[in-house]
Amino acid sequence: MTTRLEERERLNRVAGALAEPRRREILSLVRDKEMSAGEIASRFDVSRPAVSQHLGVLREADLLGERREGARRIYRARPEGLAGLRDFLDGFWTERLERLRLAAELEQQRRDKRGKRRDGRGGRGGDSHRRKP
Amino acid sequence: MASAETGAAVEVETRIAASPETVFEFFTDPGKMIQWMGRSADLDPRPGGGFRCDINGRDVARGEYVELDPPRRVVFTWGWEAEDSLTAPASSTVEVLLEADGDGTRLRLVHRDLPSAEVAEKHRQGWQHYAERLATAAAGGDPGGDPWATPEGAGGEG
Repeated sequence: MTTRLEERERLNRVAGALAEPRRREILSLVRDKEMSAGEIASRFDVSRPAVSQHLGVLREADLLGERREGARRIYRARPEGLAGLRDFLDGFWTERLERLRLAAELEQQRRDKRGKRRDGRGGRGGDSHRRKP
Repeated sequence: MASAETGAAVEVETRIAASPETVFEFFTDPGKMIQWMGRSADLDPRPGGGFRCDINGRDVARGEYVELDPPRRVVFTWGWEAEDSLTAPASSTVEVLLEADGDGTRLRLVHRDLPSAEVAEKHRQGWQHYAERLATAAAGGDPGGDPWATPEGAGGEG
């Protein structure tokens, strides 16, 4: 399990990596086939070190896989190339469900109170309820 | 990690100290839905009925209810209304499973049929859009803060 903070940091890395058009282009290039760093660099007008830097950022964000073949480094978009999207939705739903939990528990407390008043029956155990201000 | 052969999926689970009946309504009653998602919701909870949720005054999620089996299961399609979105309205599917667990509910949400890399490439701009969304989401800070409550800040947490 990753913590919230780690998750946010990862989201930040993915967002940062995808924010640069060249990096998105690199990902498209190696979506279906592997390419060496040199081949990738030859598709761009920028310096080889600049491309290497982009590759590094993409790898950091886990959007790009790297393997070595002799002295060459070969790249390919990670099969879960859209892991970033999944991370994003994961974060989205995790946040939403936390809110849902708070709202539903509050609603349940209200209902239980009403039920108790009406027929004197006990409500459901509320020990794990988190209080909402 | 949940990921089917066909398209990616996201799976989130949580336990709620409320009955499945109570929780279920939060997926079908607009007044209840906006307590946890969106500023306004327009819901027609029957198979084929519309699902539209204005998340923050800018991002609107739209789809259709596919299946309702209260209080155990609700399935609806999901996508964003934005033109350049990677996930067009109704392009992906959200399944919510509610299981009684003691005096509470075990909730499992599976969001599947997410766009493939091919789709993503076709929508080059989508990447940008998505990157911005990510940045927005990532920028949301403390647990109380809802990155989606912007731009005007919902402030309804109380």
